[in-house]
Amino acid sequence: MPGLSFENFQRNEYLVNQAGFKPPRATSTGTTIVGCRFKDGVVIAADTRATTGPIVADKNCEKLHRISPKIWCAGAGTAADTEMVTQLIQSNLELHSMSLNREPRVVSAMQMLKQHLFKYQGQVGAYLIVAGVDPTGPHLFSIQAHGSTDIGYYMSLGSGSLAAIAVLERDWKQDLSKDEAMKLCATAIQAGIFNDLGSGSNVDMCVMEMGKDAQLYRSFMTPNVREKKQRNYKFARGTTAVLRQSVFDIVEVVKEEEIPVGSSDAMDVDH
Amino acid sequence: MDSINVDVGHLKKGEISMGTSIMAVTFKDGVILGADSRTTSGSYVANRVTDKLTELQDNIWCCRSGSAADTQAVADIVRYQLDLFKTMNGRSPSTRLSASIFQEICYNNKDSLTAGIICAGYDKGKGGQVFTVPLGGSMHQHEYAISGSGSVFIYGYCKENYKPDMTKQETIDFMKTSLSQAIRWDGSSGGVIRMVLLTADGVERLIFYPEEYNEELKD
Amino acid sequence: MSQDPSTYNGGSAVAMVGKDCVAIACDLRLGQQSLGVSNDFEKIFHYGHVFLALTGLATDVISVHENFRMKTNLYKMAEQREIEPESFANLISSSLYERRFGPWFVGPIVAGLNTKSGNPFICGFDYIGCIDFAKDFIVAGTASEQLFGMCESLYEPNLEPDDLFETISQALLSAVDRDALSGWGGVVYVITKDKVVKRYLKTRQD
Repeated sequence: MPGLSFENFQRNEYLVNQAGFKPPRATSTGTTIVGCRFKDGVVIAADTRATTGPIVADKNCEKLHRISPKIWCAGAGTAADTEMVTQLIQSNLELHSMSLNREPRVVSAMQMLKQHLFKYQGQVGAYLIVAGVDPTGPHLFSIQAHGSTDIGYYMSLGSGSLAAIAVLERDWKQDLSKDEAMKLCATAIQAGIFNDLGSGSNVDMCVMEMGKDAQLYRSFMTPNVREKKQRNYKFARGTTAVLRQSVFDIVEVVKEEEIPVGSSDAMDVDH
Repeated sequence: MDSINVDVGHLKKGEISMGTSIMAVTFKDGVILGADSRTTSGSYVANRVTDKLTELQDNIWCCRSGSAADTQAVADIVRYQLDLFKTMNGRSPSTRLSASIFQEICYNNKDSLTAGIICAGYDKGKGGQVFTVPLGGSMHQHEYAISGSGSVFIYGYCKENYKPDMTKQETIDFMKTSLSQAIRWDGSSGGVIRMVLLTADGVERLIFYPEEYNEELKD
Repeated sequence: MSQDPSTYNGGSAVAMVGKDCVAIACDLRLGQQSLGVSNDFEKIFHYGHVFLALTGLATDVISVHENFRMKTNLYKMAEQREIEPESFANLISSSLYERRFGPWFVGPIVAGLNTKSGNPFICGFDYIGCIDFAKDFIVAGTASEQLFGMCESLYEPNLEPDDLFETISQALLSAVDRDALSGWGGVVYVITKDKVVKRYLKTRQD
């Protein structure tokens, strides 16, 4: 990636190696992602949980990325890497297809992604399922962070891939219909959502069919809706003790006032 | 790690590897390449239907073993160089040239690559030829070659049973038995047996499923 | 000293969405591990009408703030308008990812109202620029785990500005009281269409 800055690299190396710090944890998608081909198209699906170690950082994140209108990609691994690598290839692929005056191809996206990831020797932690339709037909590929690619009729990636592949291996058959493929992918993702700790919340899906616009189904299934709170924890206004307040008109200070502490019926706090 | 076999432990952490059984055998009419289809990531089978036989030119193919990422990247570069050679010179590159390009890349980048490659091709002048480019980046020509983690189990069998100028069917049977034994004893090899036949008639692809090549699975 | 740099100075921040308003809050502590150094280290900055909380390594908090001050000023000159929260979020994302292999150790939170649509906008980031779009609340800093718990229970959608203030303040107060590295005062901004109210909270001083 041209333009990456290593300005802080030496300082951070010192912090890690000399000062005894350890590097912080980046947001990981944890993730279950799957892809499956059907008669004249391909479908990909993902869960929507993002994690930082054991903490759920985002309960409803988007792991399905658009590379071109009819080429989509599901990402697992380091969340920032999957997002940025996908944005980079999206730009480059659009420039490429404009200079050739042709619709972008899935193999081009795959080749650009794998060459980029190989260059970074696995340091860019993006594990992707790339799928789409182009004038050549429907395609489905997976790419590992080190830059290797696989082709298949069905595949799964991410921490929930074992749960998902079990479902795919059990139910997949040749020449599935579109609805069957969608249902299979949804079931596989749910296996990840319920059995893998790194995956959770909802099922997102994208269907790409020959001769049709790609269809993104955000929240295709929502099997984990939180029960509505029966009552609330709303605090009475004035609960929080305020030392002083100022009112801004966005930038300019309009007025500033001191509130004598203890004059209000403020909540009792330690002194 | 010796000069033939790829040390899987040399792989970078979390890298996808092909702990592989691959071979290529010259025979009367040309050459046949063969491989298992298992790709692993640690103890997990990442792909059970991998195609480790990669086309470089219509008549020149290679078997890949070691890191999937490294071998795919190197094979892509070699294919590009061969295509370039063909357009610049107006004639097809030889099998030896293909292997030489592999050798040069593997030698120059020996510290960062984990790639064990068998390059095989057929042309009217030289017939079927087989070259190996093992880990350090050397190049050797053979009548037949075996490589990958599964190959250690079939050195003896192959040495005893290989004959020069076999027929097509004899060669297929020889390879099927060899690879099935490699798969049988090597945990990192498995799946189907894929073959590519390179002769004057062009390219022929074969696939053998476990029910067929594994005696223990037959009724 | 086997811990990561973003917990060296301590500090936490939180943002919440209300009805046609947003609130963003932070504590005031700056420390060196267990030693408290300052109780007026504000972690919330604003660039035009967009607010940014920066938790993490204090040296980087200042560097990153100055960097965005420059970038948003250049943006203002080029575009002849202030930057909107959505664009600012993407600016942060690409600026942090630019240093993918030599990162700033910060945990930013953006809060603001879009001037055109009037829609509230909040989002958070990890230290290499992965955006966390949330419709409800975002937390960051050394008390982020406590804040997650508080927000999950206290938060409800469509709160009026005054109610949102109480909710975000109580969430922050309770969370930082259970974090040794956060506290020592707090600041809350409640941002509405026509005004921004900044309040300093009365907190424990231990």
